[in-house]
Amino acid sequence: MFEMRPLAVIAALFAGTVADAADLDVQIRTPNGGPVRDAVVTLHLVRQATPLPKSSGNFAIDQQNIQFHPLVSVVPIGASVAFMNHDPVRHHVYSFSEAKRFELKVNERQVNRVVVFDKAGIVPLGCNIHDRMIAFIDVVDTPWAAKTDANGNVSFHGLPAAAVTIDVWHPYLRAPGNQVSRGAALSQGPARRESFTVALRSPPRPPDAGY
Amino acid sequence: MGWMPRQIRGRPWACGAALAACWLLPGVAQAEDAPHLPYDFSATADVRLIGVDGETSWLDGGFGKLRFGPGNGDDVRIRPQAVEGTLAWTPHLTWSLGATIVAIAQRSQDKPIDLSEAYLTFKPMPVGKVKFSARAGLLYPPVSLEHSGPEWGVRDTITPSAINSWIGEEVKTTGIEITAATEVRGNRLSLTAGLFGLNDTAGTLLAFRGWALHDEKATVFSRQPLPPLDGFLGMIQAPFTRPVISLDNRLGFYAKLTWAPPGPFELQAFHYDNRAEPKAVDSELQWGWRTRFDHLGAILDIDSRTRLTGQAITGRTRMGHKMDGATWIDTRFRSAFLLLTRQVGSGSVSARIEAFGTHSHGSVADAEYGENGWAITAAARRPITPFATMVIELIHVESRREQREDVELSPMQDQTLGQLALKLKI
Repeated sequence: MFEMRPLAVIAALFAGTVADAADLDVQIRTPNGGPVRDAVVTLHLVRQATPLPKSSGNFAIDQQNIQFHPLVSVVPIGASVAFMNHDPVRHHVYSFSEAKRFELKVNERQVNRVVVFDKAGIVPLGCNIHDRMIAFIDVVDTPWAAKTDANGNVSFHGLPAAAVTIDVWHPYLRAPGNQVSRGAALSQGPARRESFTVALRSPPRPPDAGY
Repeated sequence: MGWMPRQIRGRPWACGAALAACWLLPGVAQAEDAPHLPYDFSATADVRLIGVDGETSWLDGGFGKLRFGPGNGDDVRIRPQAVEGTLAWTPHLTWSLGATIVAIAQRSQDKPIDLSEAYLTFKPMPVGKVKFSARAGLLYPPVSLEHSGPEWGVRDTITPSAINSWIGEEVKTTGIEITAATEVRGNRLSLTAGLFGLNDTAGTLLAFRGWALHDEKATVFSRQPLPPLDGFLGMIQAPFTRPVISLDNRLGFYAKLTWAPPGPFELQAFHYDNRAEPKAVDSELQWGWRTRFDHLGAILDIDSRTRLTGQAITGRTRMGHKMDGATWIDTRFRSAFLLLTRQVGSGSVSARIEAFGTHSHGSVADAEYGENGWAITAAARRPITPFATMVIELIHVESRREQREDVELSPMQDQTLGQLALKLKI
């Protein structure tokens, strides 16, 4: 089973080589101070083209116990994502997003189905057989992207010392497009620290397994 | 009577001790896969150790409100009991078309094996923001919040509430049901509409027997016993009811609205009307019962391991001709329960309280046919292997019905039942 960890993602996505490396720590909190996990933080250069990420790497979304794992994935544009069904039942995975419109019929314990995500954007996933299954893929067009850990933190290393836009997206973030943004000037030296306070909405209760 | 021995002969205590010892086996993680049958078949079996007092069960010709009673003049009876077996076939005909066919054998069923459910499911890939799905065939309307799975098993307890016991024994429809579901500003909404027939006798048990608490389910060809009827009622009504028949070829309908706002809460509203002709009767003395009811269901996930479930129902059923300005039988009914379930490891503990009642306004069945009662249930469920689960339950029910004096019984009755069930599923 493949699990995407922020640092692993950074290593996989990092495409360019920069001499003037800067570091950035981002912390996402709720208004009452609680950590926000699974928030995707992406960086884009200001007034200059952001290099594209490498699309190579192992990316997988597991289906286990009638759930997708993980809830949120970050993959580079052009990535091939394996849909690995560990359940003894079939799943009919689909998305109607602008970034990727597809359906995938995955048989019991079938682990060799692959989908290529060739357009940047948010791809919500569902299963037509099991309505309670939901997950999100953020297909990114930057080498600097990762999601927050259980403490609401994510760190970037070896960034260019330049002005960047920091975008924070979460599937239940209370903001247009479920996203907030701010600019920051990165420089060499100690890691810059950016803190975001975001409100999350509660998702509706998922339907029971039903008949 | 039943397909299984009413009492396991020989060494009942040894059987009971073996059953009880199963509870002490090490538990199992829920993630482990259970063995399963090929070709989309699954099977269940249910064996219990039972201790019960009170009156003989209504299923055995008595007035007891539970699935079991002491019988044979005993005050208390403890015995092992084979209760139920099912064989379900849930083939995937295509990726959007499936079927559910369930054969069942129950302790009190008068056919050795009978059909419990048989329906097609159609769930096309959504083309927009609204998801459509449909079921067609012999099925339970989507009322119960306590049952799940193709075999329509009770999830957290052994005995369902009075409301869902009645759904199980009388409200089984044959028709088509369409559901549209969508999400609007973080609110999950779904609307279900159904047209059905073959459910014209729904209400018979509620009027003649009153509410009961048990997990005996209606089947296509079997019949449910009625309590002893005397006088005029004994002449016009057969001593049993067939839940899955039509007497007037009129279609009934139901509709359900589900609303899940942002947060861990869900509310369901349901309306049912079988539109049966109350004067319709067949040669077997089965009558049309015009039954309508409204139902509310709610689920609150207090935290990730604790759930509060509630259901409430109110309705009316009428049968027979008009006489002295009233239909022979005109019974209003209502009930409500709250069920609290806490996940513990891979099992759960549950507690339920409920109240129920009927008011009778008929010209033949007058006010003394009405009843009021309550019940309390405590249960614990513990998976012991990937294919075996133990459930222990204690249920107590009390009720009052004046008409019982006509058969020289006290209007009051109470009953306590303890059950230890071994439920197998492959």
